[in-house]
Amino acid sequence: MPFDLTSITPYLGDLAAGARLTALACLLALAGGLAIGIVVALMRTAALPLARRVAEFYVDVFRNVPFIVQLFFLFYGLPEIGPELSPFNTGVLGLALAGGAFTSDVIRSGILALEPGVLEAAQVSGLSRLTIYRRIVLPMALRTSIRPLGAVFVNLILTSSILSAITINELTGVAKIVASDTFQPFEVYALLLLAYFAMTTLVSLAAGALHRRLNRHLQGGPV
Amino acid sequence: MRYSGFTWHDVVVLLQGLGVSVGLFLATTIIGLALGLAWATVRYYRTPVLAPLVAALAELLKNSPVLVQLFLVFFGLPVLLGADLTPVEAALITLSGNTAAFVYVIATSSIESVGHEQLETARVFGLSRWQTLRRVVAPQAAAFGFGPLTGLLINQLQVTSLISVIGVVDLTKVGAILNVRTLEPFLVWSVIGVLYYLMARLIARVCARAETRLRAHSEWKGL
Repeated sequence: MPFDLTSITPYLGDLAAGARLTALACLLALAGGLAIGIVVALMRTAALPLARRVAEFYVDVFRNVPFIVQLFFLFYGLPEIGPELSPFNTGVLGLALAGGAFTSDVIRSGILALEPGVLEAAQVSGLSRLTIYRRIVLPMALRTSIRPLGAVFVNLILTSSILSAITINELTGVAKIVASDTFQPFEVYALLLLAYFAMTTLVSLAAGALHRRLNRHLQGGPV
Repeated sequence: MRYSGFTWHDVVVLLQGLGVSVGLFLATTIIGLALGLAWATVRYYRTPVLAPLVAALAELLKNSPVLVQLFLVFFGLPVLLGADLTPVEAALITLSGNTAAFVYVIATSSIESVGHEQLETARVFGLSRWQTLRRVVAPQAAAFGFGPLTGLLINQLQVTSLISVIGVVDLTKVGAILNVRTLEPFLVWSVIGVLYYLMARLIARVCARAETRLRAHSEWKGL
């Protein structure tokens, strides 16, 4: 059977719409994951033992339970106790929660990589704690974490394909429909594989470029 | 008549699902390790044609969603080959290939971590390339690569949950079945989540113990 793409052409618009939904979900989840990740990373590096323990527990659970199980838990379990979210919102929430755990890891190591002297100098200068976090710790930690954050974002994009399991028609969901419409699963899924490959390559290239740009003044050049 | 309550038989079904998940995890880990190490050896010998091909394949597998790879193998491959694949076969092929790609990356970077002067010294002593790999590079690379390998194995355990989507009755699929029958999503998905969590913990424990043994000879024991 020859590799034939002609019968897929009419569906390219649908696939593009799916790709847009994937991108939207990933960007929203990235923003949410970053917010959660920063808070959790600060908790994990805090002096208060309780804050550390709570944050460790969160990261431990969300990293050691499969994403699809987390997603089913939210999709089926959440309406029992709380508000009924649309599938898309549930998906974004799930991605953000799982992404937050991985993001906090990256930011935490960024914070731990800070020179203790810098923090001591800030404290001696009489800066308030909030100012130290806002003006010194986070900018420096985030700046050195851009490239690993790019890797987390790449993983988020790959993970977002699982959203198709809770009836969201993002890129993979649309592709499933197209595959059963055209009876050409191999062509459709091979194309899908390349589409994801292109997206993730683009993201990691962009993250690398941003990393180099933001760290250009560092001694000995960006790492 | 509806059987909506939990019965003792559900425990048996749950254990069966657990067995399928663990079995597939072990099988794909063994095949993936063998395949990934073989690919890394191809690269170590700088085999013409084959080495870049393997590198490109690993890159493609690493940068695309496992779910899409699974669909490609399960729905696409039979059409291309004109032969049927069972869900378990498709899961075996996909997960082994995916594990192999990550093992390849870990193995090549571990091999590169061994200092170049050691390779030159080995050559000066008249060791063949194979002897150098077996006696000099491999033991050090194994110790170096064990940490990342632990992380990979925990991740691959979670990836096995995706095969429920193509109809393999693994732990996640059992969860989905019980969820629909009992309408107790909160309880069902919590139990499934805890089981995965415990398995991940077990893998981490076993790997940590193996790593201390592997590093025992190189540890500083004092004068």
